[in-house]
Amino acid sequence: MFKKFSLEEVSSQNQVKTSVQRRIRQSIQDEYPGLETVMEDLLPKKSPLIVVKCPNHLTLVVVNNVPLFFCIRDGPYMPTLRLLHQYPNIMKRFQVDRGAIKFVFSGANIMCPGLTSPGGVLDEEVDAERPVAIYAEGKQHALAIGFTKMSAKDIKSINKGIGVDNMHYLNDGLWKMERLD
Amino acid sequence: MAEKLEPAKVLYCGVCSLPAEYCEFGPDFGRCKPWLVENAPDLYPDLLKEANEKAADNVSDKLQSLGISSGGADGAPSSSQSGGTSKKEEVKRLPGGKLKKKDRQEVIIEKVVRNKRKSITIVKGLELFGIKLSDASKKLGKKFATGASVVKGPTEKEQIDVQGDIIYDIVEFITDTWPDVPERSIFFIEDGKKVQAG
Repeated sequence: MFKKFSLEEVSSQNQVKTSVQRRIRQSIQDEYPGLETVMEDLLPKKSPLIVVKCPNHLTLVVVNNVPLFFCIRDGPYMPTLRLLHQYPNIMKRFQVDRGAIKFVFSGANIMCPGLTSPGGVLDEEVDAERPVAIYAEGKQHALAIGFTKMSAKDIKSINKGIGVDNMHYLNDGLWKMERLD
Repeated sequence: MAEKLEPAKVLYCGVCSLPAEYCEFGPDFGRCKPWLVENAPDLYPDLLKEANEKAADNVSDKLQSLGISSGGADGAPSSSQSGGTSKKEEVKRLPGGKLKKKDRQEVIIEKVVRNKRKSITIVKGLELFGIKLSDASKKLGKKFATGASVVKGPTEKEQIDVQGDIIYDIVEFITDTWPDVPERSIFFIEDGKKVQAG
């Protein structure tokens, strides 16, 4: 979804009201309880929080010109990969086998067989329509952020088709946009 | 969860910006290799071996050329050098499979409809021809008897917004007032496509 993404896609950016800021903070915290202790560093209450709107109902949460979270329509906020790399334990993990890496890198969605094969790992607790971090066999860091299409159990039992939508992956447009001025 | 989480440090490749372990899947592994050998030697043990072999090769090559050079000192080294540079250029062109577009000198004119029947004409790129935007906006405003202002565009670039639809003779006006701007470098944007003016 960020395959082609650049500054030109930005349709508006606003510094939001404190009340909205509070709401965003709250929903991020609910989504990622692991972040609670660093919330103050990430989204300081005092410093302005900028919400960047882009086409296709996409919003980015930007602090100090660094994009930190994104969300689609009013779905859950998801961290950018750079942020996830810093705090790797905040999200549920899926792992794909080695063969899938190169497809993920070109933006493909995560197919079930890549998750159920010997190289893949599934977190059984994950339901459908949840954000997950996608890791890869033999690698330490996450390579994509996905949004599950079906629950982990379904992925295992159906084992066919798209299991996780690829939202944001390494070297896509959002990754390349380290700073947003 | 009383303790504060420390941000983990991730080693990002200095060439392609990916985490170093993913360089092999990146767009341009070949160019990352030297960086990796230097900064993350333990991630790719094979690479290090390869690099060492290459270094050894180079040394032996040099030795050889030195041996020969007593005869044709000038010929051999210079030719090898030129070969090296051309190779470098080739590499530069390839990254990501796409060439980065240089800022070409062109004026782009776009019409944006504002309130159904009101529109704004946006002129971008005049500054590339060495034209002062504030002067230009004044002139445009005077000529078409409307408001014209210099506005910061989406990418921090400045552009001129002129109220009203003045597409019909803006091209003529631009070429008349600033002879530096050739007509063929003026483009309209119609339905998201670039169309040459005139």
